[in-house]
Amino acid sequence: MGEVFFPVHDLLRRRLQTGLVVAGLTLCVASTVFLLLFCARLGLGISSIAEGRLTTGFMIVLRQLLVFAGALVIIAGVATISFMVFFMMSQRVKDVGLMKAIGCPNGLIFGYLINELAIVVIVSCVLGTILGIAADFASTSLLTGAGFESTWKLADAWPALLVAVIFLVVALVLGAKPILDATKVECVKAMSPNYYIELTSGSRFRATSRSSLVARIAMRSLSRRKAATIRVLACLTTVFVLLTVTVAGGVIASQTTNDWIEKAMGRNVLVIGHHEMLDQCRFLYSKFYEAKGDRSFNYTDEKYSMPENLSNRLGNISGVTNTEERLVTQAHVAEVRSYVIDPETLATIPVGDSHERDSLIIGVEPDKVLGQWFVDGRFLDENDSFDATVGDSLAQAIFSRPLDQSMSFSNGTYDIVGVCIEPINNGFVAYVPLKVLRRVSSIPMPNMLVVRIDPSADEAVVVNKIRSELASENEAFDVLELDEILEKSVAFVGHLWSAIMLLPLFSLISASLCMTAYVMLAVTEQKQEFGVLRALGTRPSAIVRLVSLQNLVVLLSSYGVGVALGIMTTLMILVPDPIVTSLTVAEICGWLLAASASIFIMSLYPAMKAARASILQCIT
Amino acid sequence: MGKTVVRAFDLCKVFQVGGEKVEVLRNLELDVGEGELAVVSGSSGSGKTTLLNIVGGIDRPTSGKIYVFDNDLTEKDEDWLADFRCSNVGFVFQAYNLIFTLTVAENIAFPMEWLRKPADETEKRVEDLLRDMKLESRANHFPSQLSGGEQQRVAFARALANDPPLLLIDEPTGNLDAKTSQNTIRLIQRLADNGKTMVLATHDERIFKISDKRLSLEDGKLVKLDG
Repeated sequence: MGEVFFPVHDLLRRRLQTGLVVAGLTLCVASTVFLLLFCARLGLGISSIAEGRLTTGFMIVLRQLLVFAGALVIIAGVATISFMVFFMMSQRVKDVGLMKAIGCPNGLIFGYLINELAIVVIVSCVLGTILGIAADFASTSLLTGAGFESTWKLADAWPALLVAVIFLVVALVLGAKPILDATKVECVKAMSPNYYIELTSGSRFRATSRSSLVARIAMRSLSRRKAATIRVLACLTTVFVLLTVTVAGGVIASQTTNDWIEKAMGRNVLVIGHHEMLDQCRFLYSKFYEAKGDRSFNYTDEKYSMPENLSNRLGNISGVTNTEERLVTQAHVAEVRSYVIDPETLATIPVGDSHERDSLIIGVEPDKVLGQWFVDGRFLDENDSFDATVGDSLAQAIFSRPLDQSMSFSNGTYDIVGVCIEPINNGFVAYVPLKVLRRVSSIPMPNMLVVRIDPSADEAVVVNKIRSELASENEAFDVLELDEILEKSVAFVGHLWSAIMLLPLFSLISASLCMTAYVMLAVTEQKQEFGVLRALGTRPSAIVRLVSLQNLVVLLSSYGVGVALGIMTTLMILVPDPIVTSLTVAEICGWLLAASASIFIMSLYPAMKAARASILQCIT
Repeated sequence: MGKTVVRAFDLCKVFQVGGEKVEVLRNLELDVGEGELAVVSGSSGSGKTTLLNIVGGIDRPTSGKIYVFDNDLTEKDEDWLADFRCSNVGFVFQAYNLIFTLTVAENIAFPMEWLRKPADETEKRVEDLLRDMKLESRANHFPSQLSGGEQQRVAFARALANDPPLLLIDEPTGNLDAKTSQNTIRLIQRLADNGKTMVLATHDERIFKISDKRLSLEDGKLVKLDG
């Protein structure tokens, strides 16, 4: 019999097992291909949505999460494939012994089985790739239908081929291992159930309850398939890490980034100034959530100057808790090269180049400032003079090591003491002390006033009082309520995170399929045992309980490790200074519990099927 | 003979093999009284195992009625049959069908533990059965570590654990050497002497000699043979 004919014939003879493995591998390849393509599409989609918007700090967090999720998708796929092929081929060890016993040479046996493996893996990879690309096409069409900008091109699907090739190689290498191991074992040992039933000695007998009996059989079945159980644990753990990173990362990042915006802009904050200045202020903030170019504005115009003592008068209005004067202007800022000393070699290393660009410059009184920015380094303090805290986009755009560098504008050089996340002007901003800016810009008076209202006060009443005070001074001055802009910014960030949160949905489907495939294979292997148990008087529901318990042990073990690793990764690597409230924890727990519950429910199907099969069918 | 334990009326069993229907049991009638050892013989594939499976409630007839302890098994659902098997029937399968994940002692104890018998009673019974079957040294071994004869003794011990009123034994000597077969026959003889009701499928002439009722399955029907 030929080396190709025999494997084909053998695979067809084991229709159920072959079908299960092909279906499992196909679904695994398909879901990985789909997830990867979708992940890339989502990333590109986010880039296009965020083009000209979002500050660089936000983009870094988004990109990190997407790259990490993409890498995990591939790792999860490889882990799943390795489990499936190992499981399939480790069941053939007894056949190896039988073939050796009738005189087949090792090389021929290996050839037969590796051909079987190759046929199954190639068919699955081809089918999986086609299915994955088709699923991506379908989801893109759905997204386009839902109003997202997304175009599908076959040429964009090249990563699918890469995935197929990687999986093919991994599957062949890992699947060949148990066969190679078996060909090295004496045929008597290979034929003995002891070789593949990895149970060798039991403990002294103690009678137990019915539920403990179910637990005993379930746990022994898991340890009997030790190698396969370890592999499925690894596979599900990776999936849970992916799930946690996307869910926890998404939720934490969403809340953290919202917090960044809220604190930078402040709640219950009003901006007071000339109505043209307020229009410009609204425009600068809206650049965060709407793609807009620059527009010329003369900040130095005297008509924007705030009247003297207005700040004190507004501060005396009941319901106003703080007032802060600001001077807003625009300047052409330049990077200043500097030198740092290498702590190891003590050599002097030049830092930076000579980049430059336009930026918003805001003069603030550091001791009165109302915003609380997320800062790398520190914000300005009252002793600072020629110092600056720059926005994240400006820092990324023109500096290489901003905290070790200085910037210059209007003939002054400012040491950079911090980099902050700031939505205004999309992060192209530099904060400097007000007194210094007044001096160097020759604008004598501040042109903006920021006021915080007591949250318990009636905002409308306070705003009316401020308006009448302003009217008595100058009709051109007005009030801009920042809360409305803040809501728009937060909603935009929320929208981006919700798009990313689609990823766990697909990784969840992938995990469910993987778990179902594992249970189906495990159930097939335990079929005879279930038949005997039922013949001895075990009800079908007890078989469901037994399989469910096995599933639960595998699921909860991988859940515990995967979620812990995922949360650690998210908190320590992906989101800097995360905001984790009890609500965040509840939200993440809710998502992850729902996810594992759905995986568990899906894995019940093979259990129910096993319980419904006729006893004779199982035993024979 | 006491009251009737097993009664079968007009029992038929048809299997679908490929596209073909194979009628294994045809209008079969059977009566087994309490304490009786009924031995069923017949050529391979004549339906002996199928008959035992139907009597034990692990298979259902295509038509006809089967009563065991006056319960019509054809009318009962899977859960009822499971409980019935656990309490009333002890099976010794031809292939022994031990549970590979449980040790010898655990296999024997399984039916008692499943019936929620007290732990001390279970442990005492397992100990007695291990001693009776000369399996004490094998108590903590797994079935895959036993010889065929030892596996069969475990299967007997498990079938007897709950002291079920009906024992169904399929080809008890078919896979064994002469000496082990003789031991098995002695065990069956001892059970018969103790009044255990048994239905046994075999080709072994030695078992015919100790039977109360000798039946032969021919063309799907049971024919009573002279002792």
